[in-house]
Amino acid sequence: MSGTLVAVLGFGAMLLLIAARAPIGLSMLLVGAAGYAHLASGSAFFAYMKTNSYHQFANYTLSVIPLFILMGALAEKAGIAASLFKAAGRAFGGFRGGLAMAVIGACTAFGAICGSSVATTATFGRAALPELLKARYDGGLATGTIAVGGTLGILIPPSVILVVYAITTEQNIAKLFQAALIPGLLAALFYCITIAIVVRRNPALAPTQEKVEAEKVVQPHWPKVVAGLALAGVAWQVFSGQLEWDNAAALAGLALLVAVIDVAVMPAILIAVVVVGGIYGGVFTPTEGAAVGAITMLAVGVAKGGLGWRDVLDALRQTAETSGMIFIILLGAEVFGAFLALSRLPTTAADMIGNSGLSPYFVLIAMLGFYILLGAVMDELAMILLTLPVFFPVIQALDFGMSPDDVAIWFGILVLIVVGIGLTAPPIGLNVFVISALARTIPVSATYRGVLPFLVADVIRLALVVLVPGLALWMVRLLS
Amino acid sequence: MAENDLPVEAGGAVLGARSALERLTGYVAVAGGLLALAVALLATASVLGRWLFSAPIDGDFEFVKMATAVAVFAYLPYTQARRGNIMVDTFTGGLSARNRARVDAFWDVAYAAFMGFCAFALVNGAMDAVRSGETTMQRQLLIWPSIAVSAVLCALITLSALLSAARLLNPPTNGQRP
Repeated sequence: MSGTLVAVLGFGAMLLLIAARAPIGLSMLLVGAAGYAHLASGSAFFAYMKTNSYHQFANYTLSVIPLFILMGALAEKAGIAASLFKAAGRAFGGFRGGLAMAVIGACTAFGAICGSSVATTATFGRAALPELLKARYDGGLATGTIAVGGTLGILIPPSVILVVYAITTEQNIAKLFQAALIPGLLAALFYCITIAIVVRRNPALAPTQEKVEAEKVVQPHWPKVVAGLALAGVAWQVFSGQLEWDNAAALAGLALLVAVIDVAVMPAILIAVVVVGGIYGGVFTPTEGAAVGAITMLAVGVAKGGLGWRDVLDALRQTAETSGMIFIILLGAEVFGAFLALSRLPTTAADMIGNSGLSPYFVLIAMLGFYILLGAVMDELAMILLTLPVFFPVIQALDFGMSPDDVAIWFGILVLIVVGIGLTAPPIGLNVFVISALARTIPVSATYRGVLPFLVADVIRLALVVLVPGLALWMVRLLS
Repeated sequence: MAENDLPVEAGGAVLGARSALERLTGYVAVAGGLLALAVALLATASVLGRWLFSAPIDGDFEFVKMATAVAVFAYLPYTQARRGNIMVDTFTGGLSARNRARVDAFWDVAYAAFMGFCAFALVNGAMDAVRSGETTMQRQLLIWPSIAVSAVLCALITLSALLSAARLLNPPTNGQRP
């Protein structure tokens, strides 16, 4: 039996196991083990497993995942989401649909702290949903907005999905995080426009806000003073030749941020900007950035009094379960991937499609379409881990008129967008399930109706990034 | 899906009664979490040292790697006890609760078997590392102790999976969740 046939049978067997309720990670482990033992030998598999699981978990790049999850869990327990939502509410309050836009704005900021969409959805389900319903927003619009806002948890860097993509395809995480920024902000913008259109067409969905004048918080003057002093210092350093232009620009930007931002959310925003900015600028590795973020989040939470010992324990347990869930799938994908490599299916498929004369864009669109279909019925993380060993070599073998590195980063962002769609699209959208579990009074069908207009925006954004790769690559070029 | 069945990252774990298995594996998971927090502190100190005094902690990443591996192995028994492993309920929705529990228990046993094999392989890997005296590159840390701890924790995953299978087949009657 040829290796390719064994691999195809392996895929079939795994889908059967998954359909029979076997956990996804376990399915990959069992089929990968059987396939490996068949193609090599049982003793070869035993030798492979002696330290494979240990070394897989001791991967420096992967260590960023539990740390980012910990940072997000601490941020959630410290009540960061609620204060972000309040501040965004003050900013958007005057518009019709303003509170829904505030959810998107706050999710965007929270997405820069948290790398998980489920966590973002659940956090805002608690922090924002009661407020939206109190303001007599339509239930489906409210839950739909939060489900979609939750995807910003992964669309805005840091992002667990991008880390996994980077590791599977051996790409640079920092560059992928850079590339994700503009498409991520575009997503937030498109979601706000979608809300504006939806409430304009049906004003009953979102009653106009009473002016939120009463809630207006007087902003103190000290941030402006501090920012002014910092700007003066930076200018002096530049003129005396002590500071490079790019560093000066970064520091000046930070100072301006301090001057304009709502003091209630300043610590959270600063942590996000320092962590993501530090990774972009190469000041620290993603793992170090996540470590710094988790420690400062802990310090800020404890100092502000929002984070007690019990909250920290809860955050640790939450980190444990989520990380465990992700790492068992990662281990399964590693074993299954080793089996696939033995079968040589990935290289065979890449050769076959590369020499088939099909248009590269046709192949790309077929893959993205396949992801959207598969994502509707399957867990997104498992989906990309299973398919990338075959899809990625194929994509790399095609000529898009860009360097293979650029194609790898661009494809990563496209995969990320498609995963975001899968998280909210019917019939199985994980974010929709999470928000539905919190909003018992609103039927799932209403949430899906609320999500639909946003899916249109998602598809438009996907098409834009397919047609204009520069949306993803421009930031990478700027920062390199 | 009720709030108690939410994935723990959505806050499910903090609600409702915890089973004894969840409590026990929870302690191990928290220990793993504290280890992760400790290396996060180490990495932060290294970044600060590099930035302020140009004096990073040499080879800090070797501690990060070892600690992450041990921490992840410490997380996995808890993930199993919380039934946090993702599965897809597409074609089995029509099964009765009793039969669904039987199917889940079957996969728990399969998981226990695989992780038992994995633990046995890790014990062998640790013994190889003892014999060869393999160390990390920069700080010359012996690697066998962390592999050995991982093997023990891996065996705990097996135990956790067997116990959760037993609970599925004989659900407790005192109102606790299986």
